[in-house]
Amino acid sequence: MTAMNFMETMETAEFRVHPDAHIVVDGSVCTDCTTRECVVACPANLFVPTADGGVLFNYEQCFECGTCYLVCTQAGAITWNYPAGGHGVVFHRT
Amino acid sequence: MSDPDVIVVGGGPAGSCAAIVAARAGLSVVLLERGPFPGSKNMYGGVVYPRILDDLIPNWWEEAPIQRWVTRRATMLLTETQALTVDFRTEAWGKAPYNGATAYRPDFDAWLAGYAEAAGAQVLTSTTVTGLLRDDKGAVVGVTTDRPDGDLRARVVIACDGVNSFLAKEAGLYEHTDAKHFTLGVKETLALPKEVIDERFGVRGREGVDIEIVGCTGGINGGGFVYTNLDTVAVGVVLKLTKLAAQATRPEQIIANLKGHPAIAPLIEGGEMKEYSAHLIPEAGLRMMPKMTTDGMMVAGDAAALCLAAGIWLEGVNFAMASGMYAGETAVEAVRVNDVSAKGLVGYQRRLSNTFVLKDHRKLRRAPELVLSDRVQHLYPQMMANIAERMFRVDNPEPKPGLRRILRQERKRAGVRRRHLWRDAFTGFRSYG
Amino acid sequence: MSNRIVVCLKWVLQAGEPDDARFAGVSPADHAALELALQWAERTGGQLTAITVGPPQAETALRDAIACGASNAVRIDAPLSTNSADVAAAIASAAHDAKWVWCGDYSMDNGSGSVPAFLAAALSASQALGVTNVTFDDSGITATRRVDGGRREVLAVHAPVVISVEGATARLRRASLTALRASTTAPVDVVVPIVAMRTSQHTIQPYRPRARALAMPSGANVLDRVRSLTTTGTAVATHHEVETLAPAAAAARIVDALRDWGYL
Ligand SMILES: Cc1cc2nc3c(=O)[nH]c(=O)nc-3n(C[C@H](O)[C@H](O)[C@H](O)COP(=O)(O)OP(=O)(O)OC[C@H]3O[C@@H](n4cnc5c(N)ncnc54)[C@H](O)[C@@H]3O)c2cc1C
Ligand code: SF4
Ligand code: SF4
Repeated sequence: MTAMNFMETMETAEFRVHPDAHIVVDGSVCTDCTTRECVVACPANLFVPTADGGVLFNYEQCFECGTCYLVCTQAGAITWNYPAGGHGVVFHRT
Repeated sequence: MSDPDVIVVGGGPAGSCAAIVAARAGLSVVLLERGPFPGSKNMYGGVVYPRILDDLIPNWWEEAPIQRWVTRRATMLLTETQALTVDFRTEAWGKAPYNGATAYRPDFDAWLAGYAEAAGAQVLTSTTVTGLLRDDKGAVVGVTTDRPDGDLRARVVIACDGVNSFLAKEAGLYEHTDAKHFTLGVKETLALPKEVIDERFGVRGREGVDIEIVGCTGGINGGGFVYTNLDTVAVGVVLKLTKLAAQATRPEQIIANLKGHPAIAPLIEGGEMKEYSAHLIPEAGLRMMPKMTTDGMMVAGDAAALCLAAGIWLEGVNFAMASGMYAGETAVEAVRVNDVSAKGLVGYQRRLSNTFVLKDHRKLRRAPELVLSDRVQHLYPQMMANIAERMFRVDNPEPKPGLRRILRQERKRAGVRRRHLWRDAFTGFRSYG
Repeated sequence: MSNRIVVCLKWVLQAGEPDDARFAGVSPADHAALELALQWAERTGGQLTAITVGPPQAETALRDAIACGASNAVRIDAPLSTNSADVAAAIASAAHDAKWVWCGDYSMDNGSGSVPAFLAAALSASQALGVTNVTFDDSGITATRRVDGGRREVLAVHAPVVISVEGATARLRRASLTALRASTTAPVDVVVPIVAMRTSQHTIQPYRPRARALAMPSGANVLDRVRSLTTTGTAVATHHEVETLAPAAAAARIVDALRDWGYL
């Protein structure tokens, strides 16, 4: 599946995005992380390695599943919360 | 407004059932749900077993927003090019009181929460619970929320906040959280005309099909599923978190591979992608279960890891509904005798132990491990499919080989040791038998 | 003199879910209007009434407004498809003594932003429409609106007035838990309009000028003929007239000219 294709896939889900990020990733911890579990495991593909050896994270299209904080092995890299009530993913036919 | 007797956190099946029971018994109940409506955050594979509702909602089958009644259940072993299917169907499951049904969770959960509201519970949505309120002895006396002026106190808190249950963790009920106890479920909901689904899956009217699949997840331990809704088909995979994280194929690619399998592709061909979704499953049963109660609080449903994920069984909604009901009953009891301490709430553990909720878990305690073991995942499907292929292959002029020889040869070819096969068979027999 | 403040909220079904109230809601612009109306009510000590025109399920929008601080709520019972003029007339009769009326500039469905304008006319109020910024001070309300050519118009607003705001003008506060609990049982007044409400027939489409008859292009080669058709490279001011007329006559003259030239 190509990247473009997956962007369309993600567009099939509804997200009521809150202006504040509910998950915050500390990029400085990620720079030292060699395993990068989040990159392959996040079902929404929100962790993207950057050319300069960091990891870019976007919170907008998050399923709020919890995978990333469970698989991440580096303490302090991910601060994970649910979005403010009423925001975030809204499922329709799941 | 006065403080309620009971706060229920989470408007999933566990939370709604807890609220229905407590509110019907006359307690004042507030149910807090973080989504804009109950069910909006919830996703699963696709089949509910609502018989547990018989007492709570008589004739639930006339009211529930179900898609199809499952009258056909198949278990499929896949290798890259082969498929071995055990396919069962019965007319009995298509009639009241029915067995399993496909339903969308945003529909089902919202429907169930409607009964909580009708029973007098105050259902407050778009409200995220952010923590617990405790008294100076550490007993839980309420919750904090993300709203201004957002603290709420109650006699009993029932945490039905799902798989990530930050409340159970905050209350210290989990010893630790380990990624290897969880699987990630991802699925696609694909739209197809009802007639096409009926024809491809060999069903009529409201009849539906449930297919569980082993051996379709690449190197990752897990499984797959295909469920029929009225005019959509749900296709997805369930992946062991630690294995997923340790390899290179992303979840959407694993679904794509399953969809491309020659046994699956014709079923879903032309389906238009309606929705992509993901959710975690607490997979490890008894091995991960928390303490169920502490002073002032009980945990139910996925929050208490009560989901039964044992290979061909993936049942969580019925376990959530039952545990929610029992937590509700226990809350009623405890408030009446005015003892909401852990001691006053012991009835909850007793109810769980004496019913299918923990009985099934005990019976199947080795099943999750067995089903997710490398042999069952990677070796047996190939071995079984090869045996079937050789049994059914006509190699004339060669005469048919004896079954025993095929079994031995294929076991060796698959690299399965006889003693492991016996041991797994024994575990399987003890679990499922 | 009353200091009645009104906010108009349109409860809208989601485009992809036309039969499903669970996914319905109000637009960010309506939320902004509610927030500004609440702030104005707090500042002036006035009472805020939230009004919606819609079916019973639309009352969720009103209860949310009550949870945020509105004093009372009125639902005018009519289908969501009621046309803008009738919506405005119904609101105007329910809120005839309103001094400050706040609206979102567009609803989330195929809103044309016409309700606030109709409403101002029906209430004989002044209007500040499509406002992008609002400031309150002791002398009243100052509203900024976008006008053509990237310019801004700053209006000193005086009651009675209808103000319609864009979604980014304000962010709606979150209702407190106590207020949210109280709102679930708060009463909503229901008004059944006496006159029949008409359905909106019109759908919004991209502007398409009607076909015009053109003479055969002249020119020796293809390029010249294409140029003459598209008028590339030629002076554009083919229609240029200067007349001095009274405003009404000027408007009529402009409409006539546009019609002649095929734009209407
Ligand atoms: C891919 C997949 C396939 C599955 N297939 C099946 C199947 O076919 N059949 C079956 O029976 N089960 C299945 N399950 C399991 C089933 O979905 C769960 O066991 C069931 O949903 C548990 O119900 P619950 O009420 O405990 O939790 P949930 O349904 O998760 O509900 C928890 C609720 O709490 C809310 N919440 C969470 N935190 C907060 C907070 N802090 N504040 C306020 N609200 C909060 C959530 O929004 C949610 O509404 C599957 C699960 C997955 C992921
Ligand atoms: S989030 Fe965790 S797993 Fe991902 S790159 Fe950062 S440290 Fe590594
Ligand atoms: S919670 Fe799930 S979807 Fe959201 S960023 Fe983490 S892994 Fe991705």
